[in-house]
Amino acid sequence: MDNNNINNAPRILKESKNKITVDFERTSKIERMKLKYLNMSYVGTLLWRILRFALLLGISYVILYPFFSKIMASFMSEKDFVDVTVKLIPKYPTLDTYKAIIVDLQYFQALLNTFLLSLVTALVQTFICCIIGYGFAKFKFPGSKILFALVIFTMIVPHSTIQLALFVKFRYFDIYGLLNLLGGGVVESLDITGGVTAIDLTGKLWPLLILSLGGIGFKNGLYIFLMRQFFRGVPDELEESAYIDGSSVFRTFIKIVLPLSVPMMITIFLFSFSWQWTDKFYTDLLYSNNQMYLLPHLIGKPIPSLNYEHAQDIAEAAAQNTIGLMIIAPLIIVYLFCQRYLVEGIERSGIVG
Amino acid sequence: MDNEVNLQLETVQAAPAVRPSGKKRRRRKAASLDKRKARSGWLFVLPFILGLVIIYFPVIVESFRYSLSSMKPSTEGSGYLIEFIGFENYQEALFVDTSFTKTLISGIRGMLIDIPVIVVFSLFIAVILNQKVLGRAVFRAIFFIPVICSTGLMGHIAANTSAYNDYMADQSQGINTGVAGEGGFAISVQSIENMFANMKIGTEIATYVIGAINGISSIIERCGVQMLVFLAALQSISPAIYESCSIDGATTWETFWKITLPMISPMIFVNAIYTVIDSFTSESNAVMRYISTTYLEKSQPVSAAMAWLYFAVIIVMVSIVALLMRTYIFYQKRDA
Repeated sequence: MDNNNINNAPRILKESKNKITVDFERTSKIERMKLKYLNMSYVGTLLWRILRFALLLGISYVILYPFFSKIMASFMSEKDFVDVTVKLIPKYPTLDTYKAIIVDLQYFQALLNTFLLSLVTALVQTFICCIIGYGFAKFKFPGSKILFALVIFTMIVPHSTIQLALFVKFRYFDIYGLLNLLGGGVVESLDITGGVTAIDLTGKLWPLLILSLGGIGFKNGLYIFLMRQFFRGVPDELEESAYIDGSSVFRTFIKIVLPLSVPMMITIFLFSFSWQWTDKFYTDLLYSNNQMYLLPHLIGKPIPSLNYEHAQDIAEAAAQNTIGLMIIAPLIIVYLFCQRYLVEGIERSGIVG
Repeated sequence: MDNEVNLQLETVQAAPAVRPSGKKRRRRKAASLDKRKARSGWLFVLPFILGLVIIYFPVIVESFRYSLSSMKPSTEGSGYLIEFIGFENYQEALFVDTSFTKTLISGIRGMLIDIPVIVVFSLFIAVILNQKVLGRAVFRAIFFIPVICSTGLMGHIAANTSAYNDYMADQSQGINTGVAGEGGFAISVQSIENMFANMKIGTEIATYVIGAINGISSIIERCGVQMLVFLAALQSISPAIYESCSIDGATTWETFWKITLPMISPMIFVNAIYTVIDSFTSESNAVMRYISTTYLEKSQPVSAAMAWLYFAVIIVMVSIVALLMRTYIFYQKRDA
């Protein structure tokens, strides 16, 4: 017994005043490595890891490839389009396409307009949806379930259902009292000299602002839903303690709840900003007259400076794609800065049924 | 003296009277707190109510009215003449315009194929991205790019530039280039078709898989939001549960089916509904495009009628999915 113990005891290799090196009797390193790595479960895990990585790489490729090919094509010159040997990477790179788009289509003006429009609507939508979501999440009041069902309803109704009516609404804008639609059945346009019956709001910032203020703009149902989920995850005790300290509901909301919800609000802002930026429905519907020149208007416009003798079709298509790239380029930049919050905000929202 | 006695009497008499009234008052106060909370709840959702009442309901009602009327430019002034004609527009949409019903049916079939693929795929990717993968942050950033910039606009460009897409598809030999999934998988489709033909599992499954593979890029693009929601759901599962499972000797595979899946089943439900809504109402789908061309080129009231029919289809679809999935959801009991 004693003997055994002594044999197993660590052998002292080197001993000094405050340091000691000992050698345990243990299985050799090679044995240990074998045990660790040469079994089915480790091989399985390793295979899974490799497969997983390859899969992610492949999907990333599918996502990024169109961008890559479009970026490459945007630098191609006429020679490249004609040359059969050119595959993807242009041999005679040029910036002509970009120049033509910027000069002929007044890119920067459209960019500025779109930026302002998206910024205003996104800010308003984020704030309004935050308020509405908070109301749905934290307060029980008669009719709240029906109202929330109506939020889902606004999500379900497809654009095209309300297309015509929405246009008429803002082309001849009035609120109940001024309705002459129900009366005569004749929609009269605004005629300043002959009695104002309705206001033409198309081509201005107003329609989108009104829709956003009412929480019924583009995809606002989704934002309200996400905000509600987020606020349901915030513990009630937080607000209750504030109430006990004498804070009012609105003060609690502004001082305590809003700062908490910044990550989620950034997520909503990002959604709202980028979806407004690339939206075609409202741009076509409400801004079809050129009072407000927006980025989506660039699509499909002829570019006079790009007049090639050969391969005109492909050059035009490439120019269209370049326009697409230039439309989303600012968005990508914004995204790169905010993408961390995108996941974070959603992650914090948690799930509640 | 007399006064004092009176006072005393009053207090004596008042004493028993105070209690019930105090109780009453307290109860009334409790009710008023509820009421106050309800009132502030109303205040918070007031913007939405106003939006509904002032804009949304009138628009919906008007839209329905347009679908029942004809619309002609009026002879005097620049307005329109609207005349009630009953269900003629619906009749035209359903029976006269033959391609509408065709587009509707094929569109619905296509979307029904896509929806389970999207939900399963986004769940799969979310599970992978939730594990410790090399370069997880980079992959996440890449995977959410479509959320930001694959809206109707880019699909519109892709649809308009099919010549270019064919050209690029030729160049890159079998790699899908179209953002909307219009390019061709020259190699893979054929080989997979052959593979399934050899396996003899039935042509329906084969066409389903081939359809899914063909549309892979469009499916990836429509997964973004769902992936985010799933990631959030996965993050919210307590690590303690997984820990106790591994101590009990469960494998990762078992844990996924017994723990992960039931725990996130509410979010699978939400995502399924969202996918139905999103794919049915996105402007890039065939039916919506058909309706908007009708709006632009033919008759606007007929397009309104079509849109209402389509809306009815969506409602039916959403309720079918909701009913089917409701039985399978597991709700975690939150601690009281």
